[in-house]
Amino acid sequence: MYQALLTKKYLTRKVMPMLAMAAVMLSVATILITWSVMGGFLKTLIASGKTLVGDVAIVWPNVGFAYYDDLIERLEADELIDSASPTIETFGLIKLPDDRVELISIKGIEPRSYSEVTGFADTLWWKPIDEPTSKDHEGEDIRLAPENAELFAQVLSNGISMTRPDPITGVVEPAGVLGIEVTGLNDRKIWGGYYPGTPVRAQPDGGVEFLNQRMFLQGQVGLTILALDSSGRPIDPVTRTIPIANEFQSGLYEVDQGTIFVPLDVIQRMLRLDEAAKVELVRDDENPFAIEVNPVTGEIGPKMKEIIGVDPARVTTVLVRGVDGAELEAVRQRVREIYAQFADAHPGQVPDAVNMRHQIKTWEDLNRTMISAVKKETGLVLFIFGIVSFTTVFLVLAIFWSMATEKTKDIGVLRALGASTPGIAWLWIRYGASIGIVGSVTGTAVGYWVVLNINAIHDWMGRTFGLVIWDPRQYYFVEIPSAVDPSKAVIVFVVGILTCVLGAAIPAVHSARMDPVKALRFE
Amino acid sequence: MGIQMQERETGSVVRSEPILSVRAVHKTYTLGRVKVPVLHGVDLDVKQGEWVTILGASGSGKSTLLHLIGGLDRPDKKTERSASVQFRDRELTQESKRALDRYRADDIGFVFQFYHLLPELSVLENVTVGGMIKYGRLGYRAHRKQIVDRASGLLDRFGLSHRLKHRPAELSGGERQRVAIARALINEPSLLLADEPTGNLDLKTGESILDAIIEHRRDAGLTLVMVTHDERIAAKSDRVIRLIDGRVEEA
Repeated sequence: MYQALLTKKYLTRKVMPMLAMAAVMLSVATILITWSVMGGFLKTLIASGKTLVGDVAIVWPNVGFAYYDDLIERLEADELIDSASPTIETFGLIKLPDDRVELISIKGIEPRSYSEVTGFADTLWWKPIDEPTSKDHEGEDIRLAPENAELFAQVLSNGISMTRPDPITGVVEPAGVLGIEVTGLNDRKIWGGYYPGTPVRAQPDGGVEFLNQRMFLQGQVGLTILALDSSGRPIDPVTRTIPIANEFQSGLYEVDQGTIFVPLDVIQRMLRLDEAAKVELVRDDENPFAIEVNPVTGEIGPKMKEIIGVDPARVTTVLVRGVDGAELEAVRQRVREIYAQFADAHPGQVPDAVNMRHQIKTWEDLNRTMISAVKKETGLVLFIFGIVSFTTVFLVLAIFWSMATEKTKDIGVLRALGASTPGIAWLWIRYGASIGIVGSVTGTAVGYWVVLNINAIHDWMGRTFGLVIWDPRQYYFVEIPSAVDPSKAVIVFVVGILTCVLGAAIPAVHSARMDPVKALRFE
Repeated sequence: MGIQMQERETGSVVRSEPILSVRAVHKTYTLGRVKVPVLHGVDLDVKQGEWVTILGASGSGKSTLLHLIGGLDRPDKKTERSASVQFRDRELTQESKRALDRYRADDIGFVFQFYHLLPELSVLENVTVGGMIKYGRLGYRAHRKQIVDRASGLLDRFGLSHRLKHRPAELSGGERQRVAIARALINEPSLLLADEPTGNLDLKTGESILDAIIEHRRDAGLTLVMVTHDERIAAKSDRVIRLIDGRVEEA
């Protein structure tokens, strides 16, 4: 009982405990803010990683697999599967309007089904918007302008359908959607949006040519890829000019800086993964006099090959989206089962289920490297801050040691009045816990408040001191993540209290074991 | 053996059987590498209700003897005769730490020369803190009113009823010592151990403090062991013993 009374008096009548409480508060708030922001960063990054992948991917690289329409039909018939979409993923060279040639990841997609699985349509950047983005306080985004609304509505429609009318002939042709960072022409503003630039082409004579075009209106790129034969061996390079219908922003810089979406049928033809007649060369020794008529020219010539069937179109990947709330592992398992049935229905024509087992990956598997890197980074930052905050233990220890020394005579008096050794230890432990509780409560509250208002605080710092820490031109997310995970708050809160108890424990034991006679004689 | 009673000049009733019996108590302190013997085989009996004054020069071991009687310290073990500090039928040298804590809380009241009040607590809290220690959390709640009433009564008796909410720093030396006496008496101890209670006070204040102790002792039948070097105070007690070089000499 006397511990409660003295704790209350010590807490309210001394400067030292106030300092200790402030230290605990700052440590708790710092850890909570760091953990929340880094955790939010990871969460946002992971969500972005999922945006263009869906839940589960069935991957058979290079040569791809056939009868994917049948597989998709089987998948979409299942109650656990919401939708599925065929894609082709490959690499190639892109020739940009300024004649630069870069390596690029090429994804052949069916825009409608791909949007259903991945939310692709939502990532299209050039579209009319009604509200400015959160950091665009001045309304500088050109997509806001009413006079551009009709134009951007058309550009959005082009992006969704992956087509674009030829600017001269008006003929609608298949078009690609480019990552917003690929060309380097889009100028990222401090408010987090883009202003579209125009290409400048360097000339051999040292001059430059200004191309008066916007990528999403008149721009086009050249794509060069290596076609593969049915065994996956490269045959010859294929080059094609692809008009650009729109540009996308996924939230992952690596993706937006190095990816182009192309209509699936276009890339299938380029890679020779489209449907084709299956032919067999005619052997001279069977019928050396056989002839055939060329169906195009009508000319008659010696028969060189014979059509023996149809080689169906192939894709390298089928992306699957589970129904809302479905467990990721459950979806993967169901996809495996459905694929096994599909493989049984096409024996010898598609990869068998055993070989495909490890090629059915979740979006987490596909982003494992990126997620793991960010998790490690988060862990490292937390570790460093944890070490820094651990100094609080020593701070509390030093403050308590000092207070316990100052109160040596009081301890002697209490012992003379009959206070026990554990009673004296409990006095200091209780005192430490009280400082921990007050410091942790205020620290958690301050941390919560800062995280929830971190963008407003950041904007204020920018306006008042010209200090911009989170610059959307460097950091890919426009806003600093501002959500607090309650479970993290509880952990930080409890650790804050334990830290103080730990810091108080040594002085507590020291005080309790003090010889009461020496304590009474202490000067 | 029958119990004999005797009325003394001090107005107290002294019973013949000893409440406290100290035998062959040695105490040596170690200061760095030097061993400093303080008590050399002290023998002492204190009867119930008796006021014994211990006189002696500085460093003669008066306070040490008081601490040993109060269970704050233990006598040396390696001596020719085994040391004994017996309070009623309890052998304190054999008691556990916990038992000695209880002994101090239940049976002993300490008054120090320099008051030793807890500076953060009010006058009333300084007195009731003894009750808190004795009864513990639950017990104190049950006895709270009784303890506060007793503390208020003691402080009223010592003329401090108007100072209950004041803190020690706001009191005079005499007032502080009265608070310290009230604190020592809050648990109705059988034995009051006073270590130069007037040593830090002027003559007049010292006498008023002494009067307060004597009056309370007479009313409560308290046994009092007081350490002092003031011969005039010693003359008022039932019995005086002198500590010379760590040994007792009856005066």
